[in-house]
Amino acid sequence: MIYASMSEWFGRVGNFGLTLLIVTVYGLLVGALIERIIAKVQGRVGIPYSQPFINIAKTFFKRTAVSHGIMFYLGPVFRIAGGIGTLAFIPVIYGSEMFSNFSMAGDLFLVIYFMFFGQLGMALGAGESGHPYSAIGIARGLSQMTAYEVPFALAVISIVIQYDTLSITEIVAAQQGGWQNWTVITNWVATLAAMLAFLGMTGYSPFDIFLAPQEIPIGPPTEFHSAYLSFLQINRALFGATKLVLFMNLFFGGATGWVELMIKTLLIYMVAIVVGVAFPRFRVDQGIRFFFKIPTLIGIMSIVYVQMVLA
Amino acid sequence: MMNSLLDMLLHPLGIYVIALGAGFLIPLFDRAHRGSAVLLFIAALAALATIAGVNLLAIIKGAPPIFIETAGISPPFSINLRFGLFEGGVVFAVNSVAFLAALHLLDSLRKHASALLLYLIMVMGINGMIMTRDLFNLFIFIEITSLATYALIGMERTGSVLAAGFKYIIATSIASAFFLLGTVFIYYQTGTLNIDDIIVHSDLIQGPIGLIASLFLLTSLLIELKPYPANGWGLDVYETAPSGIASLISVGVSSGVLFALYKLLPLMGDFLPSIALISGVTFLASNIIGLKQGNARRLLGYSSIGQMGLLTMALVMLQQLDAMDMAIIVVGGLFINHLLAKAGLFWLAGIVNREQINDWSALSQHPWLLFLFGSMIAALIGLPPFPGFWGKWELIMQLATADYYGWILLVLAGSLLEAAYLFRWFTRAWQGDITTGTAGLPALRIRFWQPATVGIAVFLLYVMGSGMATLMDVTVPAFLLPLAAGLAMLLVDGLPGRLKNIVMLLIVGFFGIGLTHNLTGINLLFSYLLVGGGLLISIGALYRKDNRRGFYPLLAVLLVSLAALLRARTSLEFFFSWELMTLSSYLLIAVGRNGLKPALSYLLFSLGAAYFIFAGFAVAFAATGSLLLADLGDAGEQAGLVFGLLAAGFVIKLGGFGLHIWLPGSYAEADDDFTAILSSVVSKAGIFGLVTIAAYLGVQADIGLDPAYVLGWIGILTATFGALMAVFQEDIKRLVAYSSMGQLGYIVTGVALMSHLGWISALYTTVNHFLFKGILFLAVAGIILRTNERLMYKMGGLIKNMPVTFTFTMIAIIAMSGVPPLSGYGGKWMLFNALMDKGWYWIAALAFFSSAVAFLYMFRLLQTVFLGQRKLEHAKLREAPAILLAPQVILIAAIMVISAYPKLLLDPLSATIDPWIASTLVWEGTSLVSHYGNWNAPMIMAIVGGVWMIPLIILLLVSLTLKIQKVEQFNIVFAAERPRRPEETHFAYNFFAHYDRAIGFLVRPRATAFWNATVEWTHTFGSSLRIFYTGNGQTYALFIIMYFIGMFLVNGGLEL
Repeated sequence: MIYASMSEWFGRVGNFGLTLLIVTVYGLLVGALIERIIAKVQGRVGIPYSQPFINIAKTFFKRTAVSHGIMFYLGPVFRIAGGIGTLAFIPVIYGSEMFSNFSMAGDLFLVIYFMFFGQLGMALGAGESGHPYSAIGIARGLSQMTAYEVPFALAVISIVIQYDTLSITEIVAAQQGGWQNWTVITNWVATLAAMLAFLGMTGYSPFDIFLAPQEIPIGPPTEFHSAYLSFLQINRALFGATKLVLFMNLFFGGATGWVELMIKTLLIYMVAIVVGVAFPRFRVDQGIRFFFKIPTLIGIMSIVYVQMVLA
Repeated sequence: MMNSLLDMLLHPLGIYVIALGAGFLIPLFDRAHRGSAVLLFIAALAALATIAGVNLLAIIKGAPPIFIETAGISPPFSINLRFGLFEGGVVFAVNSVAFLAALHLLDSLRKHASALLLYLIMVMGINGMIMTRDLFNLFIFIEITSLATYALIGMERTGSVLAAGFKYIIATSIASAFFLLGTVFIYYQTGTLNIDDIIVHSDLIQGPIGLIASLFLLTSLLIELKPYPANGWGLDVYETAPSGIASLISVGVSSGVLFALYKLLPLMGDFLPSIALISGVTFLASNIIGLKQGNARRLLGYSSIGQMGLLTMALVMLQQLDAMDMAIIVVGGLFINHLLAKAGLFWLAGIVNREQINDWSALSQHPWLLFLFGSMIAALIGLPPFPGFWGKWELIMQLATADYYGWILLVLAGSLLEAAYLFRWFTRAWQGDITTGTAGLPALRIRFWQPATVGIAVFLLYVMGSGMATLMDVTVPAFLLPLAAGLAMLLVDGLPGRLKNIVMLLIVGFFGIGLTHNLTGINLLFSYLLVGGGLLISIGALYRKDNRRGFYPLLAVLLVSLAALLRARTSLEFFFSWELMTLSSYLLIAVGRNGLKPALSYLLFSLGAAYFIFAGFAVAFAATGSLLLADLGDAGEQAGLVFGLLAAGFVIKLGGFGLHIWLPGSYAEADDDFTAILSSVVSKAGIFGLVTIAAYLGVQADIGLDPAYVLGWIGILTATFGALMAVFQEDIKRLVAYSSMGQLGYIVTGVALMSHLGWISALYTTVNHFLFKGILFLAVAGIILRTNERLMYKMGGLIKNMPVTFTFTMIAIIAMSGVPPLSGYGGKWMLFNALMDKGWYWIAALAFFSSAVAFLYMFRLLQTVFLGQRKLEHAKLREAPAILLAPQVILIAAIMVISAYPKLLLDPLSATIDPWIASTLVWEGTSLVSHYGNWNAPMIMAIVGGVWMIPLIILLLVSLTLKIQKVEQFNIVFAAERPRRPEETHFAYNFFAHYDRAIGFLVRPRATAFWNATVEWTHTFGSSLRIFYTGNGQTYALFIIMYFIGMFLVNGGLEL
């Protein structure tokens, strides 16, 4: 192990705990903020900021719960472990040893692959519930994932070529020294491809059919309730915020402080929200085809761009 | 007195004395007692074989060749003979076969005393054709033979036989007339009829007369060899004549004619290219037409004519290349092979006595006959260990040395076509329950002694073939061990199945370790996978209680030949073991439930692969002059071609993109435990080959990027399309099969990178694939055993019954998917880094995509089989048997260890590669550092474990405070009601319908359609080649005359 002493390990774990807390709370607050913004657009008041916390507390302290079996029981555990782990492998604040988490265990590649961990575990848990809506939701979600993964992978390859590294810290380091060094400026093609993929990744309209808030009561989590559901709710905020941090690091120069982080991630999030409010939902096969067309083309161009223009 | 009499009788001349003497006596004996005549007949034939054998032995021991001139009168009025090594060999072989054929035919021969006589005369005629040194004598013997043959054909007086006989006599008469004319002209120019004198004075044969004379002789002999297209008459004879007679025409008369041609070859210097072309075309055309043939004997006819074409071509080529010293291996091997196998097949056809190959299904009830049948067919194709294998090998090597690549293509293509129709026939015979045409035919009644002659032929094939191994400098005990293991297992095949499994494990373990214990490097690494892994997975086979006749001998051959493969130092040894592996795995697939049809396509693709490898080795031999694998790198300019050919072969064997269509069927229909071996062990042989040639050629010869880059693309396309096709499967075995194909694609790409990290990723993925595919297929075997289903939507909810199998499957799937922290991640990480290092960005992008697609089928497998709603009838299923889980436990443990501490595996892998490419692995503590990033497996494992434990503990605490109720099945609300039956609720069928709508067009079976069209076109082409076979005797006669005119015009007639 890199850390000789146990105390250093405990320090790391403690720091990460703090990061986790901040990011989770931030994620929940952003969720509420977005709800409020949408409500304002629609001429409503919207929820109070405390609503997400109340929701979690309510579900967590439910007095009864049922289980469909061991995988069902473990599904939310996998899910939230996936969220926490993903965050653990991402350095959150540039230049801060304290908030670099456990990013030394691996690189960008690790983060991308570890994102699947929670999805897979959750999928298995939902599967054991025996509810067909869960299985249908997962089948749709996974299919869509393979599609937006293509422009995203191309964009990632493009920036790996550009910065000649897979290390997230080094990618952020290369973007320091002013906004003109951010990937969104230096490699806007890759950023465009990645942001289109991001629309699919967040699961907002027009790519929200796998959750299908109306027809399929909340998709994969259909059967989950009480404490299980609270885990999923926490993870939704945490995992969402983590993805925002990742995108911020890769394309928008990272953040040197929490305020910068919050502003940047909120703005990135707004992209998905604006698109989501403006566009109606795709059928799942339409969504898949969408990603294989323009976004993939842009992704391909981003690699050409990085080789022709930036080389 | 007695001694000198014996000496006299044993003199080659005794052949004539005895044949003629017996010929006179047979009618006399027949008057007295039919039985005594038959006895005399058999004794005479035995004597002919004995005389030839005794004299041949003397010559082999060093006695000089024997020259004979009868009666003190000079030829042509006496007989002038020579009995040397070649003559002796052929005469002995022909007489022995004649003896066996007579035994086979005895029932029908004894009905006609004259037939006995004619038979003897025919054999004597053939002997004469071989031994005589006089041109006119040769003419006489040809005439004697064809007249006797004609009479024998007509022995059974049915219309079609008589018509065939009549066409035969017309054709051979014209040929004889040509021969006589040629003889006259030669005598006119040289003043001698002695062949040796003519050769000495061959300069006298000149001008228009000389040309015509030579062409008359040549055309006559060629016609007798039945060249395409002037051979319709010969086919009719093969189709209709009694099988014993047909066998003797096919192997006896043809051998005589071929030998006559051989004697005259020194005169034919100018015509060698034409002869080669004619015989080559005959070989190819016969085999193409054979594809369309449904009549068993006519099929044998095509095969016969094809084989004679190949023999003639080989003979002429060697003469042309001045390599007659190789004749004993090439021509000798092919000749013995054809002689025994074809004769045996004709006899078998006589025993089975079914006209249509579809009706041969009657054979399925007779496993021993099937064994003989299969052995002879394998021999004809040139599979090891039969003599034809060695003959064909040496022929191809000689052709390559002369840069005759077109000829190599012709021989290999012809062989593949021949394999297609012969093995299709074999498949029909094996496939008992096929109903077309069989209805109404009585079951076969075979008396026990009837197959004896066939058995002897097959036995001799095995003995001769194995004997030739010594001749070819193959390390003998080592490379014949697979056969020895198979034989040993065959002897105990009567034991109960499980006991046999244990015996097999012991034998394979003993032989396997013996073969591989002193290996090093890549070979050592693969010996753990192939031998160790093979043994481990084979333990799973203990779950089957039944007897499984034939399974264990074949499995023993397969596993030991894998061990032998690793030991190969020369390309010949490699190819020998490779073909043994192909043959045994084909048969093992074929014994599966519905395995025969997919096994056939497995075999054909595998043979195609083998021929690519064969051609690659041949080109390498031509370039380096060495058979050593270690010298492959010296191929110089040819390195790219050699690499391309060999890689093509291995990629087909791995089920590369577009060439994969054999794979799903074979994997799906093989026995469930064998599928595990096939996927996790046997497929590694292809990877071994690929890594080996990459090491010797890619690195040593430093071939340009292009072939490797193409290989890289093939690999990743295989991975992508393998994954895509797996997504849409309903059959669990087909799903895992396509998954295998996809995973092997990553390995191919890794090897193609030709970099240290690329190779490490390939080898690491190889080991990982062995582990998780072993688990998956064994788990699938357990599921199928319990549910008796293969369609996944008919299962569901099995996690409740088979929690251990589920857990193992899940771990295997996570290890396959590449999700951290399990072992798959490392392989993906290294592959991605190596691809980025090399600048293969597009391939890297596809690698991302394909591994995302893989999630779809992986989840589908777990969801539809283990999760969701359980079928009511599955409520009482038990966990898979312990013996099936036992190997999985070991594999799971290995996955866990490698996941947590990959350095344990990576260090030895790196050490294996270091001699070829300098290591680029940089370790910082437990972290593997690449140019781009790092991978700290133990730390990832620790973190993931940590973050997983925290919510689990919280949830457990929650569970303590509030009582979590376990609920029964169907305790859900769906569509506003509580479901009653799982069939209504289990979402499993057409699971990715939406995905199919989106991009399903990518995986419409285009490759299958392409190959089907190829087959269709080949068949159509084959039937169009049959246009010459009108069945009309006059037309056939016209063809023969036109054939001569054609020969004349092509070979200088135009300039006269």
